[in-house]
Amino acid sequence: MMPIAQMVRGVLWVHFQGRTFIYEDPAEKNFSRGQSSGTKSGDLVSPMPGKIIKVLKSLGDPVNVGDVVLVMEAMKMEYSLKSEVTGEVTMIKCQVGDQVALGKTLVQVKEKAGA
Amino acid sequence: MKKFKRIAIANRGEVAVRIIHACDEMGIETVLLHSEADVQTRAYRMATKKVCIGPASTAESYLNIPANVNGALAGGADAVHPGFGFLSENADFAEACEKAGLIFIGPSPKATRTLGDKVSCKEIAKKLGLPLVPGYEGENQSVAVLLQEAEKIGFPVIVKAAAGGGGRGMKVLKSAGEARELIESAQREAHSAFGSPKVFLEKYLDHAKHIEFQIFGDASGKVVHLQDRECSVQRRHQKIIEEALSPSLSIEQRRVMGESAVRLAEQVGYRGAGTVEFLLQDGKYYLLEVNTRLQVEHTVTEMVMGVDLVKAQILTAQGEPIFSDRQLVAPRGHSIECRIYAENPYQGGVPSTGLLGRVQWPEGPGRRFEYGFEDGDVITSFYDSMIAKVIVWDESRVRTIQKMKQVLRDSVVFGVHTNIPYLMEILSHPEFVQGTMTTKFIENHFSEPLRIPDLTADELQFAEASWRQLKPQTVTAGEESILSPWTSYWRGI
Repeated sequence: MMPIAQMVRGVLWVHFQGRTFIYEDPAEKNFSRGQSSGTKSGDLVSPMPGKIIKVLKSLGDPVNVGDVVLVMEAMKMEYSLKSEVTGEVTMIKCQVGDQVALGKTLVQVKEKAGA
Repeated sequence: MKKFKRIAIANRGEVAVRIIHACDEMGIETVLLHSEADVQTRAYRMATKKVCIGPASTAESYLNIPANVNGALAGGADAVHPGFGFLSENADFAEACEKAGLIFIGPSPKATRTLGDKVSCKEIAKKLGLPLVPGYEGENQSVAVLLQEAEKIGFPVIVKAAAGGGGRGMKVLKSAGEARELIESAQREAHSAFGSPKVFLEKYLDHAKHIEFQIFGDASGKVVHLQDRECSVQRRHQKIIEEALSPSLSIEQRRVMGESAVRLAEQVGYRGAGTVEFLLQDGKYYLLEVNTRLQVEHTVTEMVMGVDLVKAQILTAQGEPIFSDRQLVAPRGHSIECRIYAENPYQGGVPSTGLLGRVQWPEGPGRRFEYGFEDGDVITSFYDSMIAKVIVWDESRVRTIQKMKQVLRDSVVFGVHTNIPYLMEILSHPEFVQGTMTTKFIENHFSEPLRIPDLTADELQFAEASWRQLKPQTVTAGEESILSPWTSYWRGI
């Protein structure tokens, strides 16, 4: 099959020998197949557009690695957002019932030094 | 016997298209009952008439019984096909249709209540002496009682929506510590997806195969089974790949399980299409549940059995016998279905939404594509992420797998990520190839997101060349265009 490329909303989509990938401005991002940055962060970012179903932590609460902080719903399934760091909740930018966009920072956890 | 003039479709996406195809071929008009968010979809473009029944939210549209009944009446329909999911297993909806003078294409409300409710279904099965998984199906739904019962059964325990299916409202409780949170989550999902928060508990079988029998009761009262399907490849209890027949059953197991399925259906005078699901572990089978509707994976049965289940449903609702005067054929060849989900396999399957660019399915012998969206349609976060199904048929299982892999390689979906790379990995896995996979297959072998493969030199070269030609020009950013593969700098590779 011949390769195909198409711009969809500013992103280049490519199908080449049985594989599909997206290609963004080489000057900035190079290619990606939709990965997130690999670094651990205290920011809990919405991985998809969806609705906030539950916020399990309050401002100032201690949080351990792996604790469920938020529950979101999209496409009729629930997804738990877990903290990647141990620390304390320093900001909550959403509430139950909010419809949030992809990539929005929802909760910030400040990492405890030495944790 | 009454021939329908117009059928209302209380559903969306690829199943709505599937029903429209059957109706078109039978000379029956269609009325699509759709939400505000589903105007730019393939089913909308295909239906004879359309009636908007409410906003995007499923509670206000696809799960809203009065809105669907009124929509069907306004559209001049004489019957309603509920598809699968949404109101397809809701006996109240079937009753509301009948009250309004509409024929509900499906089993009677009574059959749906007795077999569709997992609790009463188990009671009937018990009377028939069918093997059941130990569990709790009591009326008391307080989290405290459910926790207590889970302890009694012994972890791991699975919590499931009583009215449910499709993996929603279903969670595995591995220990008491996480049980409360998961039970509450299951109750919320059950409520949101099926309109009832009722759940029940079962001992979780951890290396079982999922095997189900297609049953059909025709208008003469005769109940038959149309062989089995295996759907062991599941993630979060959502099926991903299904096939017919199961590569795992002995002739004797097939006979005994098939007979059990038919006996169960006969108890309620079952009419129409249904599925009796079993778990098979260490050579023993257990009744799981009955789905009183058409199944997503009905296609693989159609491919090997030479039947059209949607037409059979419609004919049955019209009062025409189908199987009473017909010798059922033996299964022929093998068929596999892959569900195409709009999700990112490199991020653990998070949903992917947005504007669809080019969508291209590679037609060919023994290939079938069921899809609800085309170029320029938008995939939203309001509904299920299944955007298409790819079904193939071939002479043997090995050839069917080979064909599926080639078809997926040549399938193009731009604009949203899909699980195609993930499906390719599964189809190549030795356990799948041997047919020994269990419902733990995904958890055991694919629990981590797929690793992002590096771009090859050829891929990079093509992408860069395409980028140079197609990159957004300041003002016209986002404008779509297709790069011809015949452009000068690509020719010859």
